[in-house]
Amino acid sequence: MTSLLKNVISNTQINTQLVRLLHTTSVCCKVQAGRYRITPKKDFPLTYEMANPPHEIAHRKTWNSWNTSNLQGGLRSSETAVEDVFIRKFVSGTWHNLFVSEIIIKRQHNIIRVAGIVHRAINARKVYFLIGYTEELLSFWLQCPVKLELQTVADKKDVIFKYI
Amino acid sequence: MNSLTQLLRNSLIQYKPNSSIIKNAKKWQNLPKFYSTEALQQQSEPDKLYKFVELELKGHDPAVLKSYAKFAITAGNHLDVNSISWNLRKPVHERHTVLKSVHIYKKHRVQYEIRTYFTFVQYKELTGSTADTLLEYVQRNLPEGVGMKSTKVELQSLPPFITEEESTKSDS
Repeated sequence: MTSLLKNVISNTQINTQLVRLLHTTSVCCKVQAGRYRITPKKDFPLTYEMANPPHEIAHRKTWNSWNTSNLQGGLRSSETAVEDVFIRKFVSGTWHNLFVSEIIIKRQHNIIRVAGIVHRAINARKVYFLIGYTEELLSFWLQCPVKLELQTVADKKDVIFKYI
Repeated sequence: MNSLTQLLRNSLIQYKPNSSIIKNAKKWQNLPKFYSTEALQQQSEPDKLYKFVELELKGHDPAVLKSYAKFAITAGNHLDVNSISWNLRKPVHERHTVLKSVHIYKKHRVQYEIRTYFTFVQYKELTGSTADTLLEYVQRNLPEGVGMKSTKVELQSLPPFITEEESTKSDS
């Protein structure tokens, strides 16, 4: 019995010690969404779009989706958002590792225009095929004309704004 | 702009009642009926008159709206239409306040907002054909992310029952 008591007492002692070791701090209200951390070697490439945090939208950079659905009295905002996500995923997957900029989606009337900068890593024939393929499939799925407006760069370093 | 004036001229010719098309109507008598007579009847109708056509433009970016309003006014002025623009209405800020943290800490919130800026463009004293042409041109060049609502105020003659009453009053 005594041994058991001893054991319990020693355990509680350990517990009190542990409790005293544990301490809490106030909440760290750090905002980190859409921002990039500095690397030790300062060699992480950022485009202009990536270099500016979200609060710079409409000041130093603009939106990636241009449509009227989020205006006052706009229609089908959720559908537009889901379609935009789908277009981005499809395009970045079809043009695998080729888009070096963000994919800009512009809607005018019933036309969707997808713009971006492409790395000139594959030959022209393949690029033409991919353009036709993307336009055809997207316009079939979304039931409206889709156009691709691409610009090309020879080197991926051409779009790098800074290294952090 | 050249193509625009061309377009206007073409549409004006179509709508003018005393144009060469009607003068040459005799030549067209041999054509099938649906082509000649119905078309001529349509053309001989008087054109509509608009007191003003007002465009309400909505957008997220005031710079885009400003530039587009300038374009719309320039297009109107090239067609000798009296056109003005203003943006007196205050922008609407639709705000969503949510917790900053995922779970607790009610005191720390983030605000997201969707702004809608407004600009108005007004064209004064237009004929129907000019209004159609101008609106077509202006709406085709609407930039992405800008919404437009166009309101037309048409001039109409007094309905016959009012004019009859007035004439009887003046007689008695």
